[in-house]
Amino acid sequence: MEIPYVIEPRKDTGLNNSKIGIWLFLASEVMLFGGLFSGYIFLRIYADYPWPERTLPVLPGLVNTFILIGSSVTVVFAWVALKLRNWKKFQMYMSITLICAAIFMGLKAGEYKAKFSHQAIRFNDFTVIEGHAYPQVAKGDHDAHSDKDEHGESEDSHKKGPKKNFNVSATSVQIDVNRLDDKYYETMGPQYEKGSFTLANELVLSNGTTHAKGTAISKELLDAAEVDFLHAIAVNSELNIWANKQAWKDVKQALPGKPYYAAEVKSLLSEKVAFYKGEKKDDYLSATPLLTFEPAGGHADISVDPYWGRPSNAKKGAETSLKLKDQTVITGVSGDSSMILAVDGIDFRHTVMEAEKRNIDPVEAINKSWILKDKAIRSLWDKQAVIIEKLKEKLEEEDKGHEPTELDLYRLGWKQIAGIQDVDIAELKALDYDGIAALFKGDTDGFFGANHYSVHYPKVTVPRERVRFESLFTPRWNTYYATYFTITGLHGLHVIAGALVLGYYLFRGRKMYETKPEWLANRVEVGGLFWHFVDLVWIFLFPLLYLM
Amino acid sequence: MADSPEAIKKACKTYTAVFITLLFCTVLTVLVAKLEIFDVNERGFDAADAIIGLAIATFKASLVGFIFMHLNHEKKMIYLFFGMAIFFAVAMYAITYLAFEDPIQYLDFFGKKH
Repeated sequence: MEIPYVIEPRKDTGLNNSKIGIWLFLASEVMLFGGLFSGYIFLRIYADYPWPERTLPVLPGLVNTFILIGSSVTVVFAWVALKLRNWKKFQMYMSITLICAAIFMGLKAGEYKAKFSHQAIRFNDFTVIEGHAYPQVAKGDHDAHSDKDEHGESEDSHKKGPKKNFNVSATSVQIDVNRLDDKYYETMGPQYEKGSFTLANELVLSNGTTHAKGTAISKELLDAAEVDFLHAIAVNSELNIWANKQAWKDVKQALPGKPYYAAEVKSLLSEKVAFYKGEKKDDYLSATPLLTFEPAGGHADISVDPYWGRPSNAKKGAETSLKLKDQTVITGVSGDSSMILAVDGIDFRHTVMEAEKRNIDPVEAINKSWILKDKAIRSLWDKQAVIIEKLKEKLEEEDKGHEPTELDLYRLGWKQIAGIQDVDIAELKALDYDGIAALFKGDTDGFFGANHYSVHYPKVTVPRERVRFESLFTPRWNTYYATYFTITGLHGLHVIAGALVLGYYLFRGRKMYETKPEWLANRVEVGGLFWHFVDLVWIFLFPLLYLM
Repeated sequence: MADSPEAIKKACKTYTAVFITLLFCTVLTVLVAKLEIFDVNERGFDAADAIIGLAIATFKASLVGFIFMHLNHEKKMIYLFFGMAIFFAVAMYAITYLAFEDPIQYLDFFGKKH
């Protein structure tokens, strides 16, 4: 079928159909992104926590802006080349556009990866620290508050292992066989088996099989108990249905014409149901979904991913119970579940905000915060006081009426920490503010953020009972990251979709170019319009997310 | 829109000029955000920074729209589509704003006393 009005305009609209189509689509896109932007703005204006403004590394965003603008120009030039019937130039410009798209997505992936491996912790006192989490280590006593050796790295820094598991010395495990999750059991099962968990009570199945107290835990045992439980439920409900049917027959005979909601019908019915159930009581099967197991040695170590469940009390040595999402309940004593973090960000803005709400002096709140009991962090914060002093001096000299911002006063970012951590406080005092600012290393040192390979940030061991909330820099951390990932993710999908369409013209367009070059030019123009729109969205995203 | 080869070649110069302007504006946006000398009001981020930053972004977006997307010489219908889209996008802001008129935000909505 011949598609009408591909190039020539329709008389009524004055436009060809493809152009109308793309503009209608772009109009819907404007509304989609408009809605997301409005969501972002209102979340920000009414946020009940200090907004993480200007905390993203700017350089990747800036480079990506250049790249997208560049690709917008090359896509126009590709269209121009087609209009001038120059296939070679079209190929060249379109290839550059696609390379730009690939670089853009590569940088975006780098940014996302950096966020997904960056840990944040909010303490009970609302202090926030950010950094790189290391595997929880069990090398003797770990009571050293700050654990940085002379090279800044401990031997097991790069070993793999859980970084934030909850460790419990379990005295019993209660499993709901009906809810047991096979995926969890793959990890938890070997731990139960290693701890030699055995049945705490005798288990008698409805088919007569008996598992004596002390039978070792196994998937087969749990599966058998589950099958038995489901069988019992099925049999019992069939009996219930039978009893109800019989009871209704009797009620209808005894009280014909009475509505079901009449009081006497209700009471007779329940009497009859009880009678018939009693008649079959020997046929009812008893089965429990709950099986309790105890470790052979009285207690056994269990390590649980926090996503699956959190203990009622995470303090080392405290009595605790931990319920997994599949309803398994682990009872015992909390072990050491401390997190080890190489700190590349300290943020007291939330502490200050909460202190002000409670009419507490913010400086006092900061000084009493748990994290400042750590020597290395305390030393950093003492240096921060010097920096602020120097900044105030500078601002006074400038005499523009400027005051240090909340970010200046209450936050130490990765650049500042990298710059000042190895500088003596006396040396800092000798410098003026500009001299100190020169120490803050530039973006290039860690393109996507703090670089834990080249800079050894101070390590802190955080006991879990101090932690109010912890998360990687994922949408879970706060509404800023939730919107950041939603909007940039959706934008990234647009880049991929645009690149696929433009790539199709580049690699499969030759035939059309030879037969109907104007058609191809028209398609590239339409694809280009979408590409410009993608650029246009980024033009707003960049300042909004990276600079404000 | 430029359709003759001569007109297209001429338009290429405009595209290059717009490209350079866009790069310049991008650098300017970063400088305004980063450099202290551009702090017209308070130090650090404030409403003035937001207005300047978004004004530059709007200028850049208009350049892309008018020159690269040829909105400077389009048919009426396209303006109608685009105008409607902008209208509804703004309406969406208004609808979100209505959330603040929602009585559920008041502390005593569920009978709690202040």
